[in-house]
Amino acid sequence: MINLRGESRLKDELLGLRTKALQELESVAERSDMEALRQLYLGRKGHLTLLLKRLAELPKEERPAIGRLANEVKEELTKAFQSVSDSLATKEMEEVSTLDVTLPGRRTPRGHLHPITQITEEICTIFSTLGFRVVEGPEVELDYYNFEALNMPKDHPARDIQDTFYISDNVVLRTHTSPMQIRIMENQSPPVSIVAPGKVYRPDSDISHTPMFHQVEGLLVDKGVSFGDLKGTLATFVHQMFGSDTDLRFRPSFFPFTEPSAEVDIRCVVCRGKGCRVCSHSGWLEILGSGMVDPEVFKIVGYDPETTSGFAFGIGVERIAMLKSGLDDIRLFFENDIRFLRQF
Amino acid sequence: MRVSLNWLKEFVDIDQAPGEVAEILTMAGLEVEGIEHRAQNLCDITVARILDIKPHPRADRLCICQLDAGKEEACVVCGATNISKGDIVPLALPGIKLPDGTLIKESRIRGELSQGMLLAEDEMGLTDDHTGIMILPDDLTPGQSLSDAMDLEDRILDVALTPNRIDCASILGIAREIGTLTKRKITIPEIQTEESDNLIEHLADVTILDSQGCPRYTAGLVEHVRIGPSPFWMRYRLYVSGIRSINNVVDITNYVLMELGQPLHAFDHHRLADRRIVVKRAEQGQIFTTLDDQTWYLDDQTLMICDGKEPVALAGIMGGLNSEITENTTSILIESAYFDPIMISRSSKRLSLSTEASYRFERGIDIEGTDFALKRSLMLIAQLAGGHIARGIIDCYPKPWSPPKITLRVDRANMILGTNIDIKEMANHLSSLSMAVKVVDQNRIEVRPPSFRVDMTREADLVEEVARLVGYNNIPVTLPAIRPTEENIPEFVLRDRIKTMLVGIGFTEIITYSFISPQSADVLGAGEKSDLRSFVKLLNPLSEDQSVMRTSLIPGLLSTVRLNSLRGQDDMRVFEWGKVYIKGDGELPQEKQVLAALITGMVSTQEWYQEPSEADFFDIKGAAENILEELGIEKVEYKRNSPKEGFDPHEYARIFYSGSEIGAIGKVSKDVLKGYGVEKKAFILELCIDTLLPLVVWVKKFTPLTKFPSVRRDISIIVNRSIQSAMLVDIVKEKGTDLVESVDIFDLYQGKQIAPQEKALAVRISYRSNKRTLRDDEVNKIHEGILEEIRRQTGGRLRESPPHTS
Repeated sequence: MINLRGESRLKDELLGLRTKALQELESVAERSDMEALRQLYLGRKGHLTLLLKRLAELPKEERPAIGRLANEVKEELTKAFQSVSDSLATKEMEEVSTLDVTLPGRRTPRGHLHPITQITEEICTIFSTLGFRVVEGPEVELDYYNFEALNMPKDHPARDIQDTFYISDNVVLRTHTSPMQIRIMENQSPPVSIVAPGKVYRPDSDISHTPMFHQVEGLLVDKGVSFGDLKGTLATFVHQMFGSDTDLRFRPSFFPFTEPSAEVDIRCVVCRGKGCRVCSHSGWLEILGSGMVDPEVFKIVGYDPETTSGFAFGIGVERIAMLKSGLDDIRLFFENDIRFLRQF
Repeated sequence: MRVSLNWLKEFVDIDQAPGEVAEILTMAGLEVEGIEHRAQNLCDITVARILDIKPHPRADRLCICQLDAGKEEACVVCGATNISKGDIVPLALPGIKLPDGTLIKESRIRGELSQGMLLAEDEMGLTDDHTGIMILPDDLTPGQSLSDAMDLEDRILDVALTPNRIDCASILGIAREIGTLTKRKITIPEIQTEESDNLIEHLADVTILDSQGCPRYTAGLVEHVRIGPSPFWMRYRLYVSGIRSINNVVDITNYVLMELGQPLHAFDHHRLADRRIVVKRAEQGQIFTTLDDQTWYLDDQTLMICDGKEPVALAGIMGGLNSEITENTTSILIESAYFDPIMISRSSKRLSLSTEASYRFERGIDIEGTDFALKRSLMLIAQLAGGHIARGIIDCYPKPWSPPKITLRVDRANMILGTNIDIKEMANHLSSLSMAVKVVDQNRIEVRPPSFRVDMTREADLVEEVARLVGYNNIPVTLPAIRPTEENIPEFVLRDRIKTMLVGIGFTEIITYSFISPQSADVLGAGEKSDLRSFVKLLNPLSEDQSVMRTSLIPGLLSTVRLNSLRGQDDMRVFEWGKVYIKGDGELPQEKQVLAALITGMVSTQEWYQEPSEADFFDIKGAAENILEELGIEKVEYKRNSPKEGFDPHEYARIFYSGSEIGAIGKVSKDVLKGYGVEKKAFILELCIDTLLPLVVWVKKFTPLTKFPSVRRDISIIVNRSIQSAMLVDIVKEKGTDLVESVDIFDLYQGKQIAPQEKALAVRISYRSNKRTLRDDEVNKIHEGILEEIRRQTGGRLRESPPHTS
């Protein structure tokens, strides 16, 4: 039954198996796939093992040659499998990197600008793009600039609203940035468009007052400037500062150096107008005072009130910073706890 | 001002809910800051009649009241002594919570059952009266709810008045405003009085000797009054307005003040010498005691109300003790006057005495309203204190008021507002404010404001009234023409740049108060004539610690270190850019911009990649170098030439630029650290921005990049420790001419291998030409020259030379 044809067929099968195994091995990418393949060929019930069992069916004289060949194939495949196994292992090692990317990086120290500086810059930048020039002036100020030239003579009742730090009868710590209106108009003819940021002082100290705080004054004087222009300018400011969906309203008020005078309220940024503790349940937050420059002030600086008009406004920087950050104790700004400053 | 809505409703019909009223007023410029709901919890309190009172068997001071509470009867143990059988009283039954939070429970008091509590006015939050149980009117029915029976439900509006709207400092004023805004007529109380046959001229006399201080003085007289307590309704209204009840007559003067805005004063007529009133200035140095028992030394600027002999009142501010109403007073003279605002304001400020009266006089009351307020008070006195009103009133009014005439130009108003309102609408708005309005032509309206609108004097005032009534929010929004801004001020540009850079190298900005303690100059070790002592002093500081303007930023920096250190934060890099204020000869001080920075604690912390290291002199010096480089200020010299106040004498340097001092760096001296309670070493940098500013290189010039290679030579030299390394660098630069591209000190050794007074410095020189490749021999020649010069000038010796590299 067994003949030459049987021998050569077994040989062919052996060689075919070898080629096929090597081919399949070549396309293996995972170690687990390779293991399965090794079992398939070299395992106890693998193709090669089964083939070897069939050696016994060959005539005795033919067995040694085929047997040798079979052993060679087995050895070759075993080596091939081992080599692929090794290279896959190396590859895996390379892929599973030892770099602990979660370790903290080498950082250079980073500082923080004071929140008041940040908000002041934000305010000034908005007005700069609207054509306002940034100017600054003295904090220790003559009574004349702080009060008198702003239409608040010595006995004016409006002086009572603002408690004042006095240096002498004629010198005060400025209680607002408004003296800059006078200082600028005294030295420049219209048109004038300035913003004046800076420190101001009032003798008050509690959770919502500090004896020193910051304001940004604004002044625009030209021919034909109207209350409508004031509204447009301040609406632009509010929308850039608090978002374009922020409602605002203008409410009559009183400042001795503007008439008409207006307070600007924005829809409460905390409760969105529903009423909360921050807005005293009114749904609105007062953020700045403004008005049309009083003709009396123009007369004082030598402008003709008949041909010029203008508006002025004053923004409390701490107020805006507190609204934006949700801070409720103004004193923290000047305590300078590093943990506080790092939050901004 | 606190305004009762129920009181307002007597003057004007109000259909709107309290919140809407508040909104209407707020949007017209009378900001309502809060609405208080009164008697909110009082609907559960029951009206009860006392059926019987028995003494408590085991307590002398208590009694047991049997009460008819309508549907039920109740037994209450009570300690009050003002109640009697048949009285109608408020009763809180068990389960009720009082305004102060007390929960009423059925209990046994000394063994007797008590099914509730009889209440005094203060226990219900109605007034501050606690003299006894509140006795209610006889006509109330037991079982009724107290707040219904007494109509107690009320809202109090808290109105923030601007200084110009003094006409609104009364119920009448606010009612008038509401009337205008809601288009309702207001109701003025009617005056109905019965006068006696005694002519007032026979009983009293008024003379004004200072008609500038007192343009009008009106007086009335009531005889045979009975001084006693005021009725509940009046006390309640005064209480919610924030005024203490005194007696019926004084309460009436205060009531009319709140109602009509006219301050009144009641004199005991019989205590007025010669039964007369003289209005005149005080004598210089005169002594006067006001009814609050304070004694004042007056000057001749103070307007006084006097009788035939002496002063009896500080005009417009407060009455005197000598003519005060007492329980024995029977005859009363009521003053209703108009005093000059400026005169009252000055007196009030000089005496630091401010009252409801002076507040109004200072701002200007309605000069035409004095007689009406007087009559209103006489009527109330007759009603509530009995007595006979003398016939007529005295009215000294030498120069009657005439309204100012103001012309409003419609085109002007529309220009200012940016509106297009027609003349008829403007006229209507103004006349709705009780102004007499006459349209003169197509563009002009002649307006005569009413006497109570003392704030209406100019066209601008009328423009604002038009805007207010049109509604600010109905004025169209426009934008002004935008002009390009002029050049930015260099200082601000510089400030932004430096601050940004400092933040980039780890410094956090702080802002500290501009005022400091005057002790700080001593703590900083300032010399006698130091600028640090040129303090600008506050006349009215909040505290001694904040009583002068700072002359240095160092106190602020160190206080910040201390605060943070107490809170466990020891490692800091902070800076402040701010002003110091130096008192000079001028009226205003010099305000100088200063930049100060501080480093303390660890500059690098222990990390997995680095060892920790503590701040030292060279950390702050590095910051200074960074800043000056940013400003383009090169060729700076650091000199330890004369000690600097506040700095450690061994670790500081003054910074010079071409001879002028621009700042300093160094370690804070131990004494200063101690003075500010700081424990760790701190290093400070101070730069005077005003001096620095002219030195800044604004436009940076380009230097061509040379294509030729550089030649590097290192030198290692041992010199005495007193030799400053800058000397070596200078020698290299000088001898090396323009072929020296850079010189760097790259190593420093002080240790066992050399003598203790020596240090070894390693210097790296880079030679380069921008014209050609340098040859070794020419570099060597220059280098040898440099070495020779260094040896000569420093007396140093070369260490074994490191191999040349190129």
